[in-house]
Parts: sequence; structure tokens; C-alpha cells
Amino acid sequence: MLASLPSALQTLANYRIHNTRASKEVVDKGKVLLDAQAASSLGDDAWAFLEQLTLAAIDVANYEVADECLRQLAAQFPGSPRVDVLSGIRMEATQPPEIALKFYDELLETDSSNAAIYKRRISVLIRIGKIEQAVTELSDYLDTFYTDVEGWVELAELYSSCNQYTSATRALSHALLLAPQNPFYVLQFAETAYTADDIPLAIKMFMLALDIIDRHASEESIPTGVSIRAWYGVKLCCRALSERSCSSASDTLLPKNLPLLDELSTERVLTAYSAAGKDNATGRELVLSWMGPSDRSGGRLHFVR
Amino acid sequence: MSSPAVSLYLDPQIRDWVLFPITLVMILVGILRHYVVLLLQSPPKKLPKAAIREQRALSRSQILRATSANSPIPPSYYRSISSRLHTAFEAGTYLKDGPPQGDAPSTPANPMTDPAAMDGMMAGMKTQMVMMVPQMVIMGWINFFFQGFVLIKLPFPLTLGFKSMLQRGIETHDMDVRWVSSLSWYFLNFFGLNGLYRLILGNDNSAADTSQAMMSSPFAGTNQPGQPQDYVKLFKAEKDNLAFSEGLYLWLGDDVETRLLRKYSKL
Repeated sequence: MLASLPSALQTLANYRIHNTRASKEVVDKGKVLLDAQAASSLGDDAWAFLEQLTLAAIDVANYEVADECLRQLAAQFPGSPRVDVLSGIRMEATQPPEIALKFYDELLETDSSNAAIYKRRISVLIRIGKIEQAVTELSDYLDTFYTDVEGWVELAELYSSCNQYTSATRALSHALLLAPQNPFYVLQFAETAYTADDIPLAIKMFMLALDIIDRHASEESIPTGVSIRAWYGVKLCCRALSERSCSSASDTLLPKNLPLLDELSTERVLTAYSAAGKDNATGRELVLSWMGPSDRSGGRLHFVR
Repeated sequence: MSSPAVSLYLDPQIRDWVLFPITLVMILVGILRHYVVLLLQSPPKKLPKAAIREQRALSRSQILRATSANSPIPPSYYRSISSRLHTAFEAGTYLKDGPPQGDAPSTPANPMTDPAAMDGMMAGMKTQMVMMVPQMVIMGWINFFFQGFVLIKLPFPLTLGFKSMLQRGIETHDMDVRWVSSLSWYFLNFFGLNGLYRLILGNDNSAADTSQAMMSSPFAGTNQPGQPQDYVKLFKAEKDNLAFSEGLYLWLGDDVETRLLRKYSKL
């Protein structure tokens, strides 16, 4: 038993570094450590371990372990905002949300600069379905803590869930400013714009996402993952643009060489599906049949080649 | 051994009762000072939300400006954010105490009247006192008991220029520069022990930076964190910067299709 302790500690430290949410394993391993009082041999790492174990234990509804950890943490750091957040989460797990909200309110009254508490409060509000209040509070929070990218993405998702797609793109534009190197946000922006029926903006953003993802791609390389999704987006936008006249709420200009783009996106999506092994044969057929009509209607698009 | 005639013979008692005690006392005082400073440090004061908002408002526009030449967001979005910040800076929405009333001249608050700034200054003063007082006491102690003592002989020759550095407190013209006086030994330790403190107390200790701290006046160092900044003025300057970067603004998406088509050699 004792021999496995160092390896267990190592695994847990790894989880902490990579932010892995493997709550079951953490509780299984952590419980042994907690019983063996191994935490004291950890030095300062012990507190990070206890925090991790608390969250994991609440995750799997093992409240005795969580309470034990919380007790130790509270004894070590009385009045710590981080422990306050943990006990708030513990409260959310078993108590009605109103009590948790009240607890957070009290904390904010004494210290109005605790960002984590605001976020917990907002997440409780979302959980009990008070989306409108959550949006107001989240906007207010982001007005102060502007650099919280996750906050902006969350706000965009909240707006999307209420069909407020234009507002969602506005929130996402802040996320883009804060993390211009992240293609996922660009893709999300593009898809939100597509849903908001701002096709010219959407196709531009899809292409921007591709510009980031496929930085090192060439004609021979096979699109994978996010890249396929973005090429699909370009293809969908091209199709929409060729079928009807699309207006742009953001006054985005239509890209030049649309027929070429249509051709390119078709080609890229087909490459992605024809290169993969046999396992997605059905997928390939579906894609081919979906691409088909548009290819046959090439005359309408006036393909250059 | 160039001139054995002038060579001095130092009493080993000087080594045992002067050289080592001075060094030891200085090391111990440095370590003690580290812990006293730790004790004196009050936890950083928590800012109210409005103050954080005021402080970070500038970074908002800096983030916007940072990418303006290759902006990831479309023109209409950029302009709306930019103009919103512009009006907010103009109206003083982000100011801690709300928009300024009337046209009262905005003077930076006197640090002596603001209790928060006063606290910061007091903390700085306390640290400075902890730095200075022991040094002055040690120097007095050495001057009083060991004035004019020659403590050691350096194992290497030096030029005459070092005389004032190594033989402070001994007014002889003829003595070899290699002999070090007690007061000079104190100064050598004072500036030279930083490495040792770093070794004993870790990198982030408050004993090692004595020499830098001693040079600065007790007010100069404390002003950086505690200084009340005039956000009205800062916001005014930021407004101009925003206007500049709006002129620089270029959307990455403007020619993205050309770039993509080129990459896949369709153009």
C-alpha cells in the first residue's frame, strides 16, 4: 500500500497540471492518501491536493471526503477566498440554490473583488434558469474583469441559447480580441454568424479560422478535425450565397472569387473523406451525394475552370 | 613578499574577535531583517470592484489597440467597441467615483489625505526603517570599537585607486593597498553578502536588496504602488491612442479568400 503512495501522488499532480476532470480516480486515490495522512508529507502541495480532492469528491457526491478536506483547508487558511469558493461549491451540491446565492452575496458584500465568487454566482443563476439575470450579471462582471476569455464565451453561449445571435457574435468578438490565436473561437464566431444569417460575415470568419488552422497545410495535406468543419462551413456559405441573395447585418463585403471558393471547399471536404480508411465509407457516400447537386449546378455558378 | 620590511603581522586575536564577529553579525542581522520585514508586511489591500474596474479600463483599450493593424474582428465590430470605449473615456464612465461633476479642475488627490495611499507609504517607511536602522547601528558599533583596525590582507595586489575603498578610516599614505580596514570590511560585506542571503533565504528575500533600498529615499520606492494615478488624464491620452489605432485598423478577413486560394494554388 505504502509503495503505491508516491505513484498515486504523481498521478494526482499530473491531473492537476493538465486540469483533467477524472473525479472518480482522484477520489479513489485521494481517499487512500487522506486516510494514510500522506498529505502532511507533501509540504505546500498538500493544499492543492486537498482542493483537488474536495472538488472531485463533490463531483462524485462523496460528501464525507469533501467535508473532511474542507475542514482541513479551513483550519489552515481561515478566511481565505479560495476556501470560501470551495465551501460555496459544497453548499451548491446539497443545499437549495437560494442559500448558495445568499452565501455568495454575503461574501461579495465583504469583498467585492473576488472574481471566482461572481462566476459561481452566475453559474448558479444559469442552473436555476434565470438566464436574464445571469446575462446581466455576467456582462457586469466582464465589464470589470475584461480579460476573462471564458466569461465572454459563456456570455456568447447564453445569448445563443436565447436566440440572440447578433449579441452572441458581439460577445465572441471580445473573446477574439483576447485570444486572436485560438481558431475555435473564430469558428464559433463564424457558426454564430451563419446562424444569425449573416452569410458574408460567416464565410469570411470560416476562412479566417482556416487561415489559422491550416497555416502549414498545402494542397496535398488532408484536412482533419476542426479544419473539415470549417471547410464545410465555407461550402455551406457558398451554397447559400449562390442560391439566394444574402444581406449582411454587419455590412461585410462578399468575398471575391466565390465560384473558386466553392470549388476549393468542395475539393477539400471530398479530400478529407476520400483519404480516410474504409471505416467511413457510408459517410463518404453521404457527403458525395450532398455535394453532388451543387456540382451539377456548376453551370449556375459559372466555374472558371 | 616584495618588501618584507613593511610587512605587518596581524594578531590572530583580531581575526577571532573582530573579523569573524563583524561578518557573523552582518549575516545574522540580514537574516533577522528578512524575518522582521516579513512580519511587518501587511497583506495586500483588497481593492473594491469599482477601483479594479477603473484600473483595468485602460487595458481594455490596449487589448483592442494591440491587434488593430491585423484585427481578428470585422470593421463594424471594431468600430462599435472603439467608439464605445471612446465615449466611456470621455464621459468618465470607468472612473471609480463616477463621472466628474461639473467642470471642477481635476487635481490628483493628495497622498497625505487618502488613507489608502497613506497606509502604503507607512508600510514602505517601516520597511525602510528596518533596512536602515540596523545598518547604522552596526556601523556605529564598528566605528566605536574597531576604528582604525586592520583586519585582513588580500591575497592579491591592487592598484592605488582602491586605497579609499579598502582603507577607509585609516589615514596612512604608505600602507600597501592589500590591507583592509574594519570600516571597509563592513562595506565589502554590506554590498557582497547578497549572494549569501540568496543562498540561505531563497531568491525572493528582503535582506538581499538592502544596497538598492538604501540608495533610494524612503519615499521614492513606495510611490510606485501607492501613488494615486490621475485616471482622468490617462483616459484622455488613451482616447487619442484609440483614434490613432482606428486609423491603422485593418481586418484580417479583408483578403483572406485571396490568401486561401493562393495557398491551394487556385489563383
